[in-house]
Formats: sequence, C-alpha cells, structure tokens
Amino acid sequence: MVVLAGLWLAPALWVVVTSLKPTPDIIRTPPEWIPWPATLEHYHEVLLSSSRTARIGRAFLNSAIVSVGAAVIVVFTSAMAAYPLARMRFPGRDLIFALLVGSLMIPGAVVLVPQYVLTQRLGWLSTYQGLIVPEAALTFAFGVFLLRQFFLTMPGELEDAARIDGANAWDIFLRIVLPLSQPVLGALAIFSFRSAWNDFLWPLIAVNRPEMFPLPVALAMLRGAYSSESYGPIMAGAALSALPLLLVFLVANRRIVEGVRLGGVKG
Amino acid sequence: MSVLTRVPRRRRRGALTPYLFLAPGLLLFAAFRLYPLLDGLRLSFTNARLGRTQYAWVGLANYERLLEDTRFHASLWNTAFYTVASTLPVLAIPLALAIALNRGVALRTWLRSAFFFPFTLSVVTVGLTWLWLLDPVVGPFNYYLRSLGFPVRSWLADPSTAMWTIILTTVWWVAGYYLVIYLAGLQDIPRELYEAAAIDGATGWRSFWAITLPLLRPVLLFVFVTHIIGSFQIFGQVFILTQGGPGDATRTAVQHLYETAFQNFFHFGSASAMAWVLFAVIVGFSLLQFRVLRGHTEY
Repeated sequence: MVVLAGLWLAPALWVVVTSLKPTPDIIRTPPEWIPWPATLEHYHEVLLSSSRTARIGRAFLNSAIVSVGAAVIVVFTSAMAAYPLARMRFPGRDLIFALLVGSLMIPGAVVLVPQYVLTQRLGWLSTYQGLIVPEAALTFAFGVFLLRQFFLTMPGELEDAARIDGANAWDIFLRIVLPLSQPVLGALAIFSFRSAWNDFLWPLIAVNRPEMFPLPVALAMLRGAYSSESYGPIMAGAALSALPLLLVFLVANRRIVEGVRLGGVKG
Repeated sequence: MSVLTRVPRRRRRGALTPYLFLAPGLLLFAAFRLYPLLDGLRLSFTNARLGRTQYAWVGLANYERLLEDTRFHASLWNTAFYTVASTLPVLAIPLALAIALNRGVALRTWLRSAFFFPFTLSVVTVGLTWLWLLDPVVGPFNYYLRSLGFPVRSWLADPSTAMWTIILTTVWWVAGYYLVIYLAGLQDIPRELYEAAAIDGATGWRSFWAITLPLLRPVLLFVFVTHIIGSFQIFGQVFILTQGGPGDATRTAVQHLYETAFQNFFHFGSASAMAWVLFAVIVGFSLLQFRVLRGHTEY
C-alpha cells in the first residue's frame, strides 16, 4: 500500500523535481530524482518574464480573485436557499428542490454556447464577473443540495426558542443556523474554490485578453509558448498552480473529506 | 420530516419569507443555467454565428447536417468508447484501494491523502504532467518500461493506445475522490455483519460479494452516475494531451463542439444542435440507468 501510494505521488514529485533542474539536466537519462544542482530560474522566468503568454504571476492573481469571488457567492446564495428548503413549509418547495437537483444532471458543456452569447450580451467577456458569476451558478445547485442535507439534521429546539423570543427568520438564519453550520460551509467554500480554480473550458472561451487568463488557460498557453524540450518553465508553472489547493488540502484535510462524504454518500 | 411539520404557518406575515431567502440563488440559477439551456435549444434551430448579430430560423437544418457530419459521428463514438472503457477502472481501482485502506492499515490518513492529492490539480496540470512523463524520447515512463524489459512506444501518438493513455491519466486524477466516497460508504457498514459472516465461515471474497458489494450499492450508483455524466463531457485531457489526434482517434464530442463554435467555423447553431444531441444522450442514458438499477436496489 505504501509503495502504491508512493507510485501515485511520483508523477507530481517528478513535476517538482523537473521544475528545479537547470535546463540541460532535465532531459538527461536515466531520470535523476534529486534535482542537484537546484535552480529557481524557471520559477523566476514564469513569474516575472516579460513575454505576454508566459506571465503566470498575473494569472495567479486572476485565479485567486475569481475563485474567492465564486466561493463567497456560492456559500451565501446556497445557504440562503437551502435554509427555507430544509426548515420551512411553503408552496412550490418540493418542485424547486427537484428542479435544482435535476439540474445537477445538466452537463456544463451543453450550455457553453448560449452562456457565451449571454455573457457577450452583458459585456462581460474577459472580465472577472464574466468568470465569477457563471462559475458560481454552476456550483449553486450542488451547494443547496449539500447544505440542505446538513440543515435537515439540525435540532429544532434552538430555532423554536429564538422564535418564542421574537426573533424573525433572518435573525435565526444569521445568528443560529450559520454559526452552527461552519464546518459544512467551510467544506462548500473549499469545494467551490477548487472547482473555480481548476475550471478550464469556460475561461478558455470567455477570456480572450491574455492579462485576464486564469491559471489553467495561462498554463495551456505556456505550453504553446515554449518548444517541447523546455519542460522546466512549464513544470514550474504547473507546480505553482497546484500550490494553493495543496496548502488548503493540508490544513483542511478532514473538512474536505467530510464534505465529499456529505455530498456523495448521504445523497 | 417531523422537523418540517413542526414549523407553524399560521401568520400571513411570514408567507413571503422563504421566497425572499431563495431569491438571490434562484435568480443566479435561472439566468445562468436555466435560460442558457433553453436558449441553446432555440439557437440550434438557427444559423447563428459568432460575431453575427442577425440570424434566421433554419428549422432542422443543423440536425440534418449532423447526420452527415462524419467527424461528429467519430467524436460521439470516441466519447462512448472512453465512457465505457473507463468505467470499470474508475469504479474498481478506487474500490480496491478503499477496501485495502479500510482494513486499518498504518498511516491510513496519509495514504488516503496521497491518493486524493491528484484530484486537487486542474485538468491542465494533470495533462502537462503526463505529457512530460510520457514523452516518448526523454520521459521517465518509457525509460522505466524499457529498463524493465517492456516494449515502449509513443503512447499518445499511436491510435491504438492514445485513448487508453487518456484513461490512465484520468484514473490517476480522479481515483482519490472516489476512494474517499467509498471509504465513507464502507465505514457505514456495521462491523458485526463481517463478524457474523466470519463465524459462518465466510471471509475474503465471499463476504465481499455477500456483504460489501450489496451494502455499497447506493455509493456505487452515485460513483457510476457521476463518472458517466463527467465522461460524456471529457475535454481537457484530450485538449492538452492529443488535441484529438492522432487523426481523429481521440476527438471527443465536447471538443468537436468547442471547435465548431469557437475555433474553426464559429457556427453557434450547429454547435448548439450538437449540445442538445449530447444532452439527449445523457438524459436517455441516465433514465435507462435508473430504470435498470432501481429494480435491484431493494433487498
């Protein structure tokens, strides 16, 4: 098992090793797994190079803005929508929920062209909102599903007590429901951050100004900007793009696993 | 459900409250999911193009053209092949790993993390990683195969191995995600069942077939459906690793749609028709799955 896990990580390790080697060492066989002498030249190049296609630093910032923006919108809209769906009775509730769950079956690729038409008409091509809002809309239904599962399991006593004290639904939502749901809200935030950070197809078509490229698109362009032997800068870019989620993952490992569990199994 | 019925609904004043809570999300959803879906259907009956503001109704012309578009047929066929061929490895490999980890191996959390890690990467990063590993001349993959005495080749440039190579990279990418789902499912199976089975002399494979697999059926169904819906939309791996080549050997439906709309012809009407054909295939397939599997989920 340990050997297998090592093999599983080997490709990722190889990326990091490659990114630290001077160019002539990279294609030397047999493969050297210790990058010595090590160099940061490739990182310097992809982060600070003046060539327009190879500017990973700016793409990093773009991805961060888009992913955080999408995560914030998803968490708030999903929580607000999931709360009445789980804790109130009103006409149309089951229909709305069925519609949202059913939409999870709609492949993103199917709405690609009309979503482009809509974004263009709004004047949102190559803008942050043009990336954030569709990204958030895509994850919203999943978020409602995940949070509703959690809200259903919360005991009703606290709400009842607050209602007797004269609190309205909004107070209860803000002061009781949200604070009690922090772990699952965190899991959803990570989930939507990840899906926005890694999305490729939508930004590929919705952005045509290089300075607005998020990381996956910039990386794909990076590949075209170098000849195939120049794996160094490409691998440095790949390693950099993996860094934020690796950190999130190391810090919030248990929360992510719990989120996957709630979203997948309890459904 | 008892929680829901307890909420008093006597006061008129609060009747609007649930809808106010729902409004922002539903607005987002209606504008960017529901409306585009229907607008795509409308576009599929027009000759709309990228950058053209006026277009005409053309009836079923786009769909008729799809009947003759051999590259679209090839891409649908490749997508179906990928979906079918990847299903067994994607279902079975994480399950095997999950069962092994569930036995209570030392370092379980660390091992789970190791397998999960690739899932945190973007499809572009995954593609670039494997492009370099599989480099036919200087890549380590072929080097180690050769030194172990196996035949080597340009895995991605050979039509007979290109799609399988894409499946390999996909398994590496997603296995950890399904592993976590399986592990959660396995932990919900009561230990007593295995103990009782062991007393009756059933261990190993027998208890796997008699206990694990039946009790894991809802989880398996979830993984299956998730994987199938994702597979029909495969794009990123192909875009980075092969661009659909060699020839059209790995061209997929979404790639063909992308190129029709945004790269070669800028023909939105035709691409929308493809999208709806793809959508119909997915919906049909999902309904079939539920019908077939529903009959078996009660025991």
